[in-house]
Amino acid sequence: MNLSVLGAGLVVFGAAFGIGWIGSSAMKAMSRQPEAAPKIQTAMLIACALIEGVALFGAVICFLAN
Amino acid sequence: MTNNLHIVEDLQTAAHDTADRAHYVNQWVMHHVTDSGQWHTPLWSLHLPPWMSNNAIMLMVASVLLIVCFGAFYRYQQGKAPRGWTNALEALVLFVRNDISIAYLGEKDGRKMAPLFLTFFFFILTCNLMGLCPLFSTATGNINVTFGLASVTFFFMVFGAMYANGPVKFFKAFAPAGVPWPILIILMPIEMIGLVIKCVALTIRLFANMLAGHIVVFSLVGLLVTFGYWALPALGMALAINLLEVFIAFLQAYVFTVLSAMFIGEMYHPAH
Repeated sequence: MNLSVLGAGLVVFGAAFGIGWIGSSAMKAMSRQPEAAPKIQTAMLIACALIEGVALFGAVICFLAN
Repeated sequence: MTNNLHIVEDLQTAAHDTADRAHYVNQWVMHHVTDSGQWHTPLWSLHLPPWMSNNAIMLMVASVLLIVCFGAFYRYQQGKAPRGWTNALEALVLFVRNDISIAYLGEKDGRKMAPLFLTFFFFILTCNLMGLCPLFSTATGNINVTFGLASVTFFFMVFGAMYANGPVKFFKAFAPAGVPWPILIILMPIEMIGLVIKCVALTIRLFANMLAGHIVVFSLVGLLVTFGYWALPALGMALAINLLEVFIAFLQAYVFTVLSAMFIGEMYHPAH
């Protein structure tokens, strides 16, 4: 059994937490100020991409370890 | 063997053992997502010379497609609303210029740098979408390609900023005013390493996104081979993931462009 699989799971845990938090905050912000929705969406996507980048670092290392 | 059918034949001669079949499916998936010296399609099979590779051909095809799209199909319509294909391209071009380039680099630099970001956006988008079409493979799923793209961003972050602000101001941006010197000793190397890390993150993000998406699609199709008709629902899921990939192709092209604009804008206007 390769331990890198476990690492991939942990990475998913962290990334899901981060992206989920961003999503929920963006929802709250957009429902409070619907007129600012496009700006919030852009900022949300960028923050999501940054977290995703870190998560994919982990995924790539799992690929390499396999 | 002239094409990748040998994997299928290996599969047929393999023992009727799920683990054995899974092994061949794994080989088949890796064969499809990695770069190789051949271009296999149902119609033809090309063995490329050593200085050429599958993904290099895809890059050339993407360039030609873009030149055809903007050179032949784009019609500049003076004085009236654009229609058809021109309209579709113009909407994307305006979006990249106004909401990415000018938004992050300011009115003057943004207009000057718009061609760079337009090239980034359309080239990455074309490469990503080609990966979803039959006959083609994903050039952006190759880390060398994405590293090349990110090094262009790095070039502009360093030399473009030096050209725009002068070398002295470029290095001063690493030492913000009002920070005591003991902290600067730690801060400056971190800022300089950050310059490289940002570009490496750009590389890995695009590469891993495209690679991981395709591996997921292939693995779901591979379940059908491994488990037979019991895995038929996986085909529907593969289709759904493929549609998700279309969205991701657009999103990753946008993310790469917007982050490049952000990083370059930060270096051009350090006072921000």
